[in-house]
Amino acid sequence: MLTGAPNPTPDLAAVLRARLAGFAGFLRANGYAVAGSDAVGLLETVARTGTLDRHILRWSLKALLCGRGDEWRRFDALFDAYFLPPNKKLFVASNVTAARARDSAGAPRDATEREPAAGSGHGRDTDAGLARHGASRAARLASTDFRDLNRAEHVRDVEALMRRFARRLKHLRLRRDARYDHGRRLDLQGTIRRSVASGGTPLRLAWKDRRRVRPRLVLLLDVSRSMSRYSFFYLRLARALCGELADVHSFIFHTRITGVGEALSDPDPWRSQERLQLLAVGWGGGTRIGECFRDFNRSHGARLVHSRTGVIIVSDGYDTGEPEVLAKALATLRRRSRRIVWLNPLLNQPGFTPESRGMRAAMPHIDLLAPGADLAGVARVLPQIIEALG
Amino acid sequence: MTRPVDRMREIVDLQSQLQDAGYIAEPALVAALLLMLDLGRPLLLEGDAGVGKTEVAKAIAAVRGARLIRLQCYEGLDVHAAMYEWNYQRQLLAIKLLEHDDRPVAVKEQDIFSERYLLKRPLLEAISCAAQAVLLIDEIDRADEAFEAYLLELLSDFQMSIPELGTVRAVTRPLVVITSNGTRELSDALRRRCLYQYIDYPAFAKELAIVEVKAPHAAGQLARQVVQFVQSVRRMDLQKKPGVAETLDWTAALLRMGISVIDDDGAERILETLSALIKTRDDRAGFTREVVARIAAAC
Repeated sequence: MLTGAPNPTPDLAAVLRARLAGFAGFLRANGYAVAGSDAVGLLETVARTGTLDRHILRWSLKALLCGRGDEWRRFDALFDAYFLPPNKKLFVASNVTAARARDSAGAPRDATEREPAAGSGHGRDTDAGLARHGASRAARLASTDFRDLNRAEHVRDVEALMRRFARRLKHLRLRRDARYDHGRRLDLQGTIRRSVASGGTPLRLAWKDRRRVRPRLVLLLDVSRSMSRYSFFYLRLARALCGELADVHSFIFHTRITGVGEALSDPDPWRSQERLQLLAVGWGGGTRIGECFRDFNRSHGARLVHSRTGVIIVSDGYDTGEPEVLAKALATLRRRSRRIVWLNPLLNQPGFTPESRGMRAAMPHIDLLAPGADLAGVARVLPQIIEALG
Repeated sequence: MTRPVDRMREIVDLQSQLQDAGYIAEPALVAALLLMLDLGRPLLLEGDAGVGKTEVAKAIAAVRGARLIRLQCYEGLDVHAAMYEWNYQRQLLAIKLLEHDDRPVAVKEQDIFSERYLLKRPLLEAISCAAQAVLLIDEIDRADEAFEAYLLELLSDFQMSIPELGTVRAVTRPLVVITSNGTRELSDALRRRCLYQYIDYPAFAKELAIVEVKAPHAAGQLARQVVQFVQSVRRMDLQKKPGVAETLDWTAALLRMGISVIDDDGAERILETLSALIKTRDDRAGFTREVVARIAAAC
């Protein structure tokens, strides 16, 4: 494949090595978590396997350079693209430009330039007041509808506020544990271990702590057009939560459902947002909530949802799919999980009742339906959510 | 560079050795195993439950004639359960016995904290084995992140420090096989350090080979039908897809019931054995007589 000659000349060998080492970079450009040191491992591997048999090289490099399931599945195509000449150009071109576009998009830090234009006309009059008092600014933010916040200067405040919420969630969890303190049991082994220091007399007793309650959170966020005014800020909430709690899994759905945990945990908030937009690009119109949940159950349910999992759905419930599908999918999800909480941003709008077909189908299967259009709304239901998960 | 022909021979050799040990491996997996032996890196296996991840470690241990040391991970796994613990009861006894001993205190203390009173848990056991062992770290996704970080340290240096005793260095480096069901995302650092292999449900030919090796009584027509049936079941929309272990269980169940052929006439009797294959109530509800008859007829 690389060369037909059984004994490559020194020059050829160098070319060969460079070519092989370049494969690591090629994979990195295609989103693989491959480090520079892997090029060394690659050459070492090749030294053992030889390069003349394509299959052996493929199998060995696959084991060496892949790190997770999706990389595993994409590897063969990339391998062919890199080592088999005809396809190569096309593949490199498309992927590298995508990566480069992403990089350059992440580079400028000018917030005004980077901010999506939506909602730019809202609340200009509040600017002056907000700039004056930090404290009252936070208070004001707490009761502002999310759609009024879709502007750059508020992003930091929102992030900070969300982070505080996440901390409160953690704090509440810990306090919950502390209250159980009186019910603890004696740890015999630990007591004996301690007594060694005092010559075998158990002076200091050791106690067994009650197992920590660690609820897992699964967030399912509707990013359809009808939700566009809110979804951005719920993504920020999800991002802040991911930063604070270890066991949070976020998904966005629209006509399809996709995991966004990795994009959300990108340390650069702007690039994180960029990646999210890339994920949702090219999705068709309409919201198929039922089908999305069914897909979620199929591909992630068994893996992610267990009896200590709280599922938080954020959606307005406008479903263009069949309500029966939604009801069935939610019933399945409900059986697996501990609680399902549905946040509907439209709920506190005057005159709104959850009468859409989707909402009606969902009602029997959810534990808590709460408004969540603004930060104060989320703050109000947060204790209930924590209570439900405890 | 090794001649590719030699490498291919190595792969074929190891593959047949694995088969002798009762494990049917695809060449890609064998290539990864060879690389694991060459580079001394851990091998991370991912895939659905029941595709035979754990069996890989058992098979490679059997082939190498090595001891298999298994660490089953669970939530709350700590150092004492994974690495070492002092045998406090014996230490206490020793303290009492040494009370009337005239040796200096320092010597006594050294005696109490000697290896005699050390309980070796799997990780310490694996690195202090005289002969190279196979260390199986099963379902690492069940342990928490803190343990993963600790493991990472062990896997990079192959040494561990015990405050009272000093640093224990690996006598031989164990072959490390790590399995994960993906209930939790593993850290990139761990993934980077490992070779990786994703194991899927076996295709028809491979599963047939497995059934023929593991259940020789079912060879021939029944084995083919069983595998065909299970493969169709896996294509259905199920909560819990049957793994290879389920296939073998079911084969045994069929043999026990005296069923030697799967056809739509015998759907009633097949239904009685399905509890070996279908493991949730919802999934079971989908298997009516008609459904079973239809699948059986296609076999």
